[in-house]
Amino acid sequence: MSIATGQATVMAGITRKRRGILSRIIAHRTDYLYVLPALIVMLVVIAFPIYYTIELSFFRTPPNLQMRDKIWTGFSNYSTVLNSSVFHEVTIQTIIWTLASTFFAFLLGLGAALALHREFVGRGLLRALLLIPYVISAVAASYVWKWLYHSDFGVIGALAVQLGITSEPINFLDNRQTVLASLIVVNIWKEFSFAMVMLMAGLQTVPDQLHRAAQVDGANTWDRFWHVTFPHLKGVSMVTILLLMVANFNSFIIPFVMTGGGPADASHIWITHIYQLAFGRQQWGVASAYAVILFIVMMAFGYFYVKALTRGDEDRAGG
Amino acid sequence: MAALTSASLMSSTVYAQSVDLSQWSPEYIRSIAGTETFDTAGHCAEVVPLDYTGRLTYWWTGPTEASPKIEHDINNAFWEAWSKTYPNIETDAQNIDYNQLLDRLRTTLLGNAGPMVIRLQILGGVEFASKGYFQQLKPEDIGYPTADFWPGAMKSVTWDGATYGVPTNNETMALIWNADIFKRAGLDPENPPATWDDVVTYSKKIHDELGISGYGLVARQNAGNTPFRFMPQLWAFGGGALDEAEATPTYAESELDNEGAVAALQAAYDMYVRDKSVPTSALTNTQNENQAPFIAGQLAMMIAHPSEYAKMVDLAGLATGADKEIADTVVANMRYGLIPEGPARRAVVFGGSNMHFVNPEYVEGGFDEMAAKAFACFWNSPEWSTKLAWTGSNPGNLAGFKTEWMKERLDTIKFLDVTTSMLPSGIPFPVIPEATEIMNIIVPDMLQNALTERMTVEEAAADAAAKVDSLLGGGL
Repeated sequence: MSIATGQATVMAGITRKRRGILSRIIAHRTDYLYVLPALIVMLVVIAFPIYYTIELSFFRTPPNLQMRDKIWTGFSNYSTVLNSSVFHEVTIQTIIWTLASTFFAFLLGLGAALALHREFVGRGLLRALLLIPYVISAVAASYVWKWLYHSDFGVIGALAVQLGITSEPINFLDNRQTVLASLIVVNIWKEFSFAMVMLMAGLQTVPDQLHRAAQVDGANTWDRFWHVTFPHLKGVSMVTILLLMVANFNSFIIPFVMTGGGPADASHIWITHIYQLAFGRQQWGVASAYAVILFIVMMAFGYFYVKALTRGDEDRAGG
Repeated sequence: MAALTSASLMSSTVYAQSVDLSQWSPEYIRSIAGTETFDTAGHCAEVVPLDYTGRLTYWWTGPTEASPKIEHDINNAFWEAWSKTYPNIETDAQNIDYNQLLDRLRTTLLGNAGPMVIRLQILGGVEFASKGYFQQLKPEDIGYPTADFWPGAMKSVTWDGATYGVPTNNETMALIWNADIFKRAGLDPENPPATWDDVVTYSKKIHDELGISGYGLVARQNAGNTPFRFMPQLWAFGGGALDEAEATPTYAESELDNEGAVAALQAAYDMYVRDKSVPTSALTNTQNENQAPFIAGQLAMMIAHPSEYAKMVDLAGLATGADKEIADTVVANMRYGLIPEGPARRAVVFGGSNMHFVNPEYVEGGFDEMAAKAFACFWNSPEWSTKLAWTGSNPGNLAGFKTEWMKERLDTIKFLDVTTSMLPSGIPFPVIPEATEIMNIIVPDMLQNALTERMTVEEAAADAAAKVDSLLGGGL
């Protein structure tokens, strides 16, 4: 076969393929029409802001955000971000916040799910009670915890003194060393029931006969959990962990309401820092560069989330 | 210097004034109160006919959970009177939290979804005027002479030689103390600290003797309450964010790291770190968080408005049992005095709010000029300018000082004369677009850096000064 013939064959293949896509679109045009309104809304409310944020990140933006006044600065905003000491501090705090919140919320959720999976009197009531942190407004919870933690009159500090644990009230929120850990505790309290609900749903899928068979084989409780229950929870665990990580990475309310990022920036995480840069200080270009970096990180999470989701489907389908 | 500052605030204009600012004193205020009557509806009808049909959108910070009941009552009375006077103007008014209003306005203006009329804290307006968001607006546009407003307040609505708003209310704060705590700590119950050095000494003595907080320091990040309480101390020692305390400020470079500013920051450090004589929670506190410990007899001194007394009366009314006894004792022992002096001057923030008209291109649903003018005339009338400032401020329209309502305020509001007599010591925040960031972010950050010992006092002051200079130079 000559080269020309070969090329013609390839070209014909491409044309057939194109025609194939086109004919498939035409064949499914009604389906696309159904999706079109949602697609337009998505483009307006998601795609445009993303594009605009990326565009702003390459400009030195005046506070009035008048397009005509923007000054092209290339990657200068990114270098400002990456060379800023605050960036490194806030990044470390964000990583600690995200990993610690996710790990402990998942662990507590798993423990609660396993406990509530057993039959016992009052299980329904306890399940409802454990859901309260998840359904309560984050703003309301933040204010309540702020008073519980209050450095001078907080219940927690007073209890610690009363029980002889400390000689004076613990300074939770007004201390750079303890503030982040204190906020993480609130975040874990708020989120563990989400993990609990997800994992309880996962536990329903574990076949009882496998447990019974393992018991007959002499497996103890730990062995049964590790070799029977946990493999069945892998898919849902991955999804839960990723959802928690995304939620924690994007957390705003708890640190913002409780401390405003203080004292001395010790509880700023990316989102609160971006908020202050943009709306408090109107450094739109730098804030946009931060947001773009955050977007890239979140996209990576999204990729793994979708992978985990499909793997979960495969696991459930016995793939 | 203090005299020069006062002179700059009180310099008369070419217009005839309703009041004589050169005679300003508690006695003079009492002598003019209740000497004139005003017909609000009749006056505003000359600006906009009362049967005008239109639409108005308005944002402001009104009464909150922390406000005394009387403020809620007056607020309700105002809206009732407004809808009765201009029944055909459909009004959408949003009461937005003080600490959220600026951020929210910035955001909505970016989306061209702003309100027609907005009332902003005194330091907020110039930022938006300089960006082209506000229309030019002066008192004459709504039927009042400019001379009937504090010159310092008019300065705060002036940008690049043009006027962009009308002062709605102006106030200065005072030092509040609990005489009973003073007595129990071995201090003279009727004599407050005269200087800021005395505040440090008194605070320590109270804490050492009674184990409670002396002075209610407020140092929360990104909160207007912080500069309102710390800047008087900074100015008193001779410091400044820029040179705003001078008679003719140039706003050229920061003075946050001068000797006076460092001394003021050191005094705050001494109270918080060395003596531990102020609330530990100061770093996350706004003034609202000082109210509970004060009424519980756990805090001896704080800086606030006359409305704080009304608030304490409300709180005492809600208390029961043993708490009631403590609260009643606190209210009976509440005292107001002049803000302490420093080596350089006695100073206080010349506070208040201004009303602005948003440029039509940034208003959601278009701008109704007549409705906006009618509303601004009504709100800033001698009557409502006085009533709406009942417990927390003073009328922006100085003619309000002559009304029967001013007389009633003086007769019924304890300590009002103390705060009004502080007005000539008032220093306005720098009238530059960057003022909000300097005051609400850089100054609190400086305090936090020093009080958490993230930096030394000198380093924190130098860091803040560098940030201000960088900001003025167009940097981050």
